Amino acid sequence: MNAAIIFVLLFALMLTGMPISISLGLTVLTFLFTMTNVPIESVALKLFTGIEKFEIMAIPFFILAGNFLTHGGVAKRMINFATSMIGHWHGGLGLAGVMACALFAAVSGSSPATVVAIGSLILPAMVAQGFPKGFGAGVITTAGALGILIPPSIAMVIFAVATNTSIGALFMAGLIPGIVLAMLLGLTTWYRARKFGYPRMKKATWGERWHAFRASAWGLLLVFIVLGGIYSGFFTPTEAAAVSAVYAFIIAVFVYKDMPLRRVGKVLLDSASMSAMLLYIITNAVLFSFLMTSEQVPQALTSWLLSMGLGPITFLLAVNILLLLAGNVMEPSSIILIMAPILFPVAVKLGIDPVHFGILIVVNMEVGMCHPPVGLNLYVASGITKMGITELTVAVWPWLATMLGFLMVVTYWPGLSLWLPKTLGMSW
Amino acid sequence: MSKILNHLEEWIIATLMGAATVIIFVAVVHRYASGLSIPYIQDALIKINMSWAQEACIYMFVWMAKFGAAYGVRTGIHVGVDVLINQLGDKNRGRFIIFGLLAGAFFTGIVGTLGATFVWEIGHTEQVSADLEMPMWIVYLAVPLGSYLMCFRFLQVGWTFWKTGELPKHDHAHVEGIEDIKAEMVDPFHPAPVKSGGNA
Repeated sequence: MNAAIIFVLLFALMLTGMPISISLGLTVLTFLFTMTNVPIESVALKLFTGIEKFEIMAIPFFILAGNFLTHGGVAKRMINFATSMIGHWHGGLGLAGVMACALFAAVSGSSPATVVAIGSLILPAMVAQGFPKGFGAGVITTAGALGILIPPSIAMVIFAVATNTSIGALFMAGLIPGIVLAMLLGLTTWYRARKFGYPRMKKATWGERWHAFRASAWGLLLVFIVLGGIYSGFFTPTEAAAVSAVYAFIIAVFVYKDMPLRRVGKVLLDSASMSAMLLYIITNAVLFSFLMTSEQVPQALTSWLLSMGLGPITFLLAVNILLLLAGNVMEPSSIILIMAPILFPVAVKLGIDPVHFGILIVVNMEVGMCHPPVGLNLYVASGITKMGITELTVAVWPWLATMLGFLMVVTYWPGLSLWLPKTLGMSW
Repeated sequence: MSKILNHLEEWIIATLMGAATVIIFVAVVHRYASGLSIPYIQDALIKINMSWAQEACIYMFVWMAKFGAAYGVRTGIHVGVDVLINQLGDKNRGRFIIFGLLAGAFFTGIVGTLGATFVWEIGHTEQVSADLEMPMWIVYLAVPLGSYLMCFRFLQVGWTFWKTGELPKHDHAHVEGIEDIKAEMVDPFHPAPVKSGGNA
């Protein structure tokens, strides 16, 4: 009963449009003052200690690293490299767009920023070559979402923090699904481009390819520093994040020279305020999940599921539907922070692997970024292309359908995510 | 006065962000460099104690988070569920926005007060942090200070909105080196402004 009141109150507050962090916090306070005799001091303590974990500090560092490299110059290098490698196949620039998005998303970590950076450079070129506007928009909107699946991913760190799962294992587990999804989106692009006879590019020479690779390699090295560093035990995920931030700073300012030194203060400020926003949601979400646990909501949910005779298969289907619905109104980090602490204990009880569950949630979030009413990528793409949201939704569907199909594969084939970390001998 | 506060706020959070990065980076470099057997340098490095780095980083980010959240209110970075209220007419949306801002001020006001009490109590104990041995009340001072500042920012934004109908809006898709493209972008996680004052 209490749990029902908590949820109704939370949703009512959220729908008024106030910040999610505030609605979480107010829900918890209301509950504490009216429905329970949990001493308020113990909650006050949570409020201060909620984010005092070194793992959480990976978030600000990764945001900082991403912001140093979220630059038009980096996007241009990624596009040149992708075009030189696969631009001569069916789909030409569109296909290269998928690859460029995957590469850029890996270093930048922000999906909307990827859509803007790659989209505003590659879309005009595609239109000039004779591609229909909707084709390019569909490619970039969906491929831009790859960022949260390909490590380093802030969404994964948030999941790890909310559920005490290993960040390193999640990163490794995301790598293969990320590459496979990029290939599937590319395949959809290739197939449609071949069917409609869209233009291709001239084949680049190996010299040109090497040249383009050298230019983009500095940025891509960041992914290897993070993954390699964590895997080899050279540093913890948070240290890896801090090192990658320093690396990104050196590359942006001294190697690529995209960023003058005086802009660094602004990047620091932007990253700090973005991190503070996330950390503020996390603080309040920690309170909320504390409340969920003290009300034994996950246990109640588990015993209800078991009494209904529902196994992991039905549960995972329900999780997917629930998350896709939540993706209709909320942005990814908040969904993960609110849902994961409730669903995760149930999943573990049903024998679902924690890391697999994390990857499944992240792929869900990706889908949510690409469909209306709140898919942020759609809004950003609509800003670039000047197409309406409805028109874009129609343009996006072949790739969105691909993503949904991929989501089903990820959901019911744990091996796809778990093979790499297991083969590398990681334990979690 | 207000300008000084704004600059101080920005300066504090940007500095904390940068300094924490440098500290952790130096700690990592130090850990590996002191493992290299270079004569003299190794001995000198081993003498430097960097074990406080993690704790310093955590506390710096706690401070950054509290003040950054207040800065975020001023710049409109906090995300909400605005899909529904953005469908409403100006007048009704205005009411919801005012309600949301007041709720924010109310919540942060309560947290600030709880925090102040907590800091007051802990200030009368001898509690110090594990590595830095810093008095804990100084560490937790971030909570009342940051929350009260945030409360003030909510009221400030609410007042401006009431007078002009304008809201601060953060651009989540800004990319350096690319000229602004989203002239009329509406996004679903922030309320749209209203044309005249919120009291219209």
